[in-house]
Amino acid sequence: MKVKRATIHAYWLMFIASVITVGIVTSSQLISDRISLLLDRQASELLAADLVIESSNDFSHEYREQALREGLQVSHSISLRSAIFVDDTPRLIELKAIDANYPLRGKLETALEITGTRQVTTEVPSAGEVWIDSKLAGLVGSQIQLGEKFLSAQRLLTYEPDRGGAIFNLAPRVLMNVEDLSDTGLIVAGSRAEYRLMFAGATDDLVRFKIWLSTNAKPGEEIQDLENARPEMRRALERTRQFFALAIVLTLVIAMAALAITARYTANQEAPKVAMLRAFGISQANLLKYYLRQLGTLWIMATLAGIVLGWGSQFPLQWALDGWFGKALPQVYSLRPYLTAALVGLLALAGFSLPYLVNVTATPPMQVLRTVVNQRSWWRGLLISGSAIVAVFAVLMLLMQSSILAVVTLALVLACALVLPLLLGWMVRALLYSSSRRFWLRQYLLSRLRATSRGAIYVMSGFSLVLISILLIAVVKDELIGEWEAQLPDNIPNYFLINIRTEDVGGIEAFLRQRGIEASTPYALVRARMAKINDVDVDKINFTDPRASHSVTHTFNVTYADEVPDQNLIVAGEWLSNSNDPAQVSVEQGLAERLQLEIGDTLTMMVGSQRFESRVSSIRSVAWENFKPNFFLITNTELIESFPQTWLLSALVTDSNRADLKQLLQRYPSVTLLDISEMMARVRGIVEKASVALQFFFVFALVSAVIVLLAAIQTGRHEREVESSLLRALSANTGQLYRVHILEYTLMGALIGFFSAAFASIAGWAISEFFFDIEFQLSARVWIYSLASGTVILSLAGTMVSRRVYNVSPMKVLRS
Amino acid sequence: MDTPEGKLDILDNISLEVEYQEAVVIKGASGSGKTTLLGLMAGLDQASSGDIKLLGHDLMHKSEEQRAAIRAGQVGFVFQSFHLVQGATALQNVMLPLELSGIENAGQLAQTSLQQVGLASRADTLVEHLSGGEQQRVAIARAYATEPSVLFADEPTGNLDASTGRQIADLMFELRDQSGTTLVLVTHEAELLERGDRQILIESGKLVTS
Repeated sequence: MKVKRATIHAYWLMFIASVITVGIVTSSQLISDRISLLLDRQASELLAADLVIESSNDFSHEYREQALREGLQVSHSISLRSAIFVDDTPRLIELKAIDANYPLRGKLETALEITGTRQVTTEVPSAGEVWIDSKLAGLVGSQIQLGEKFLSAQRLLTYEPDRGGAIFNLAPRVLMNVEDLSDTGLIVAGSRAEYRLMFAGATDDLVRFKIWLSTNAKPGEEIQDLENARPEMRRALERTRQFFALAIVLTLVIAMAALAITARYTANQEAPKVAMLRAFGISQANLLKYYLRQLGTLWIMATLAGIVLGWGSQFPLQWALDGWFGKALPQVYSLRPYLTAALVGLLALAGFSLPYLVNVTATPPMQVLRTVVNQRSWWRGLLISGSAIVAVFAVLMLLMQSSILAVVTLALVLACALVLPLLLGWMVRALLYSSSRRFWLRQYLLSRLRATSRGAIYVMSGFSLVLISILLIAVVKDELIGEWEAQLPDNIPNYFLINIRTEDVGGIEAFLRQRGIEASTPYALVRARMAKINDVDVDKINFTDPRASHSVTHTFNVTYADEVPDQNLIVAGEWLSNSNDPAQVSVEQGLAERLQLEIGDTLTMMVGSQRFESRVSSIRSVAWENFKPNFFLITNTELIESFPQTWLLSALVTDSNRADLKQLLQRYPSVTLLDISEMMARVRGIVEKASVALQFFFVFALVSAVIVLLAAIQTGRHEREVESSLLRALSANTGQLYRVHILEYTLMGALIGFFSAAFASIAGWAISEFFFDIEFQLSARVWIYSLASGTVILSLAGTMVSRRVYNVSPMKVLRS
Repeated sequence: MDTPEGKLDILDNISLEVEYQEAVVIKGASGSGKTTLLGLMAGLDQASSGDIKLLGHDLMHKSEEQRAAIRAGQVGFVFQSFHLVQGATALQNVMLPLELSGIENAGQLAQTSLQQVGLASRADTLVEHLSGGEQQRVAIARAYATEPSVLFADEPTGNLDASTGRQIADLMFELRDQSGTTLVLVTHEAELLERGDRQILIESGKLVTS
């Protein structure tokens, strides 16, 4: 026990920095796992499950049994098109038969009448009853004939979690209990029905089951999860996770900067002890073993304390976030966050402190008698920097999902860590040369910064790194999320009008215009399947991306347009109208990547039994989250305008216009109205929650920054006290002492602020440009905040330190 | 001295007078109170009782600020660990006390002082790049630059090898002979002891011989 106490006493700064590092990793891993799980669950609501398998044939019982064995919940549904009679007129409907477990994620919402209050329900239609789409509102309370059975229409179905899946193909929904389906006689051999088996449960169970399902699924059975289900959701989730990863890593960089500063300080403190031990004949190897044991003890204790700190710190966040998320953060029962934190602690501690300790074991024994300037050696420098680089890279790889992101982050951290001391040193020298011949006060200040023994440049670089990280988190939070949110303007359309017949397009546009309802350009939809790519049948192509096979069996809604649609950006090739070729297609970037399409490739598409060929002339990025009509494939007008088609347009319907919709549906009964505001609100919710979560990491970063500041102050305190004492002995008065300290910190702060703003701007640009695909705008605020915070924080800290330092007795210089 | 354990007498009933231009060497075992006595005489520390006068100024009941004003330009120091400002050149280090005292032609005086210690050619070298002996020469140049009336030196050769220590001792006494500065020196070194006009031995905070 004595040994442990001594260890903490000798290395208390390093110990605190290690505890913070482990604590940050534990806490951020726990929290990000819990937030990810919650986001997944919320997104799962849009699938009504965590995992879905879909087919045009019923499934083997084996699937359900295996899922139940894995401890998953299972639900199934059967959807088919049918017709009902409304006022003696047959009306196409999307019939969906569900069991009592539906939906596994999310909730159904119903109302008793079209203007009635929407109510969330955990019930499903009972046997003998149906819930119907609001377009069929007039039928509530009446009997509806479905095949051979009459069912009672009890409620209006106002929200159905997985409704958005094929939004352009929706006829009015009729929801019924699956027990009634066989009695209707609608399912017969050859019926075109869509069978869905839905699963939900714990992540590990789901992963195991998905692997089993992937190997056992039959041809024609399509597995859907969050990753491949919904482009707009996937984008939202991917970005959120990337933001988290970035924020965690930046926060960790700060903690590691504290560790690096404190390790250097500890090693310097150990030098006299090492000189003494070496003078007594202790070998370097034995000293190294001694320090390894010390470090090992420190790591174990810091890991335990850090894990307790990290575990405890998730609760304030949980308390803060619960209100925002509307529900409690789910618990994560896994050892992974703790093991990761322990490993990161070990890597960081070893990477940053070991080389310093190796270095310090080489302290000449002569040091016990007099000051010996330790010779600089290139291999020691290499060992210190190389070891730190390896440690940072290993930690980044451990924590980041994307290895490219890890490499780029490492490059940025390295650039900062290597270039900052050089630039700061260069700047100080330049200021020195441009200074007057007088030494006091300006040159004296700069000399203090330049003095290698004080390590001011390294402390400044460390603090700059901290400020850069904080600024980057702020940039990410404010600029990038702000930009992202800006893609979801408030007045985006909340309704899609689909299944519009060509002859009705003009009439509907006029109808909407007369009533002041804002509507988009109408887009034609031609339903087409992909048959060949470059004359090779798609089923004979081996795609590297597993999502590609889903894409090629998917029925595309191909449109034609003369102009590039809003918020679409040509990333390769040229837009259709720029060429005279009448058979061109513009492909969405994600689809092009999945199918490995390049400019000039030929696509053969089938529309029923007819076919058309087109050359890929451009690749487009699409802002899926803008909820405007977006398309994977857009061709020339003349290429497909003669094919059978329906039309789509989006509209912004205000509360005062809702009554007009009823009139519109009566006048154009083929039209299906799709309310997308619910889905939109959910995606917006994810963005908002991501922003809140990032604020939490920002607080963490600030706390770490304070520790870096304290470490930096602590590191130089002894030197400052001796210097103040010397100045006192050389008859400096209090005012002179006060000025020198405040001005030194202000100068340091200004330099730190300047370089931090410059680096944060460059890094912010790189991150937004290469990873988040968002246009970055240089922010004056970053510069103002950086310069102001650098100067103010350092000056305040300087004032606090100076209060102690200028009270130091000049006797200290005699006794030191 | 007041300590958490109560009042601690480091120096007890000492009476010592140093004459103008005299070289007094203080010796004693480690912990005997030599450095404390030097600090009190130089006005670096405050005694709890008694009477201390420096250059005719009463140091008792004076604040650190007032004592600093008495020292300014009149008192020089040489320390065992040199205590030079790292990151600054030899010349800048010598200029520091001159400028702190508000002397105008600090650069010129500092250059002359460096010349006196034989370091004119290394005036623009950063002090951390100088050898131990050279660093102590800079410290001596700094101490003499203000042409002090009194120079206090605490183990000035303690961190140097024998040969360099001898050179430094020669230099200090040579400059002292030239300038006529009063010298109060704490040392263990036999050679330095012999060169003083008077030796003072302190044992357990008491003046034994004078």
